[in-house]
Amino acid sequence: MITLFMVFISTLILVLLLTQLLIKAGGRLNLTGVDIHKPNKPSIPKTGGSALVIGVVTGLIIYLLVEGFSTELVALIYSSLIAALIGLVEDIRGEINPKVKPLLLVIAGIPILALSVYTPRPVLPFIGATRLTKIYPFLILVSYPVVCNAVNSIDVLNGSISFTSIAFFTAILVVSAIHGLEYPLIVSAIMLAALAGFAIYNKYPSRVFAGNSGSLFIGSVMVSTAIIGRVEVVAIVALLPHIMNEMHVIFSMRGLRSAKQYNSRPITIENGLISANPDEKAPITLVRILSAKIKTREDSLVKSMFVLSLYSMMLAILTNILFMR
Amino acid sequence: MSLLRNTLIVLILLTIAWAGFLSITFILAYTLFPAIEYTDGSLTLGLLRVAVGIIVITLWIYGWYTLTKIWLRKMLSE
Repeated sequence: MITLFMVFISTLILVLLLTQLLIKAGGRLNLTGVDIHKPNKPSIPKTGGSALVIGVVTGLIIYLLVEGFSTELVALIYSSLIAALIGLVEDIRGEINPKVKPLLLVIAGIPILALSVYTPRPVLPFIGATRLTKIYPFLILVSYPVVCNAVNSIDVLNGSISFTSIAFFTAILVVSAIHGLEYPLIVSAIMLAALAGFAIYNKYPSRVFAGNSGSLFIGSVMVSTAIIGRVEVVAIVALLPHIMNEMHVIFSMRGLRSAKQYNSRPITIENGLISANPDEKAPITLVRILSAKIKTREDSLVKSMFVLSLYSMMLAILTNILFMR
Repeated sequence: MSLLRNTLIVLILLTIAWAGFLSITFILAYTLFPAIEYTDGSLTLGLLRVAVGIIVITLWIYGWYTLTKIWLRKMLSE
């Protein structure tokens, strides 16, 4: 426990320092994204994801050095680095074809399969442990693109990725503490430290974005933690706002398409105030639902998204306590 | 109309989705799973279980999407 506390503090300090450095580096290297919701449309460095990646991986390596080797954590590091690398390519070279990207993200699941750090008996509410020996490896591979894209899709407003992910990892932390699950406890504690440090710079008005490297990294860590810790159902329930956002986008856009190629935008922006696009053909997103028939500030929408994530966090913990055998 | 009201409506939609998820697993736990979970070696029953799982999850998500779409259209057309 002392090791975990020390790693928590070092990860937090490291991410705080690295984010400051990477904000400057992002500006110099022109690795920036336009903050489209602000009236003056400023360019913001999108290098924050690298601070998260370096901070979390360093934290995990320190833990491994002190507490001893763990195949589970090594597999998690490899899979999250693969996802982060795919995101980094997008950040540098531009958007990858939305039909190719899911196929690339499948690769992130390979370390989990190759190092055999999964149990093909997921525990479901009321049912208990089920046998999914043949299909489970396939589900692992599919879950990486699904969750990584879901996290990527929620990263649309200043701070939305930080606060919704904090709620997710808090759910995992609480459930792991209740049941004494070692790996999900370690990973969620380190992720919470990193996200807390990052949120200071990512919250409204953002000084840095997570970029695709950050969002795909976070998504990959979420999946790996759920699989290794056997907390799949807790993860699904804690991710309900993400699932809602992603699935509604896919259904309303009739398939995997880039939002940039779509004629009708989900929201309209006037003097920094966000409002849902009344066009029936516009994609259905969480932000569009929240801003239906109103004009609201970006930070107010982020607070609402955080409330939704906290509610899902509570439902996830309740599901685990009340309905899991 | 306010952001608070919209947030509350999404909270209700999330609750419905959560309750739907639990109801589905509850029904499966007492109907399909006892029938096929402990039947060893049958490929057909294994595939049936996977097919039922996929269909149920797709219907769950599609039902959730339809509910949201109806509410959003009603709201935006007011």
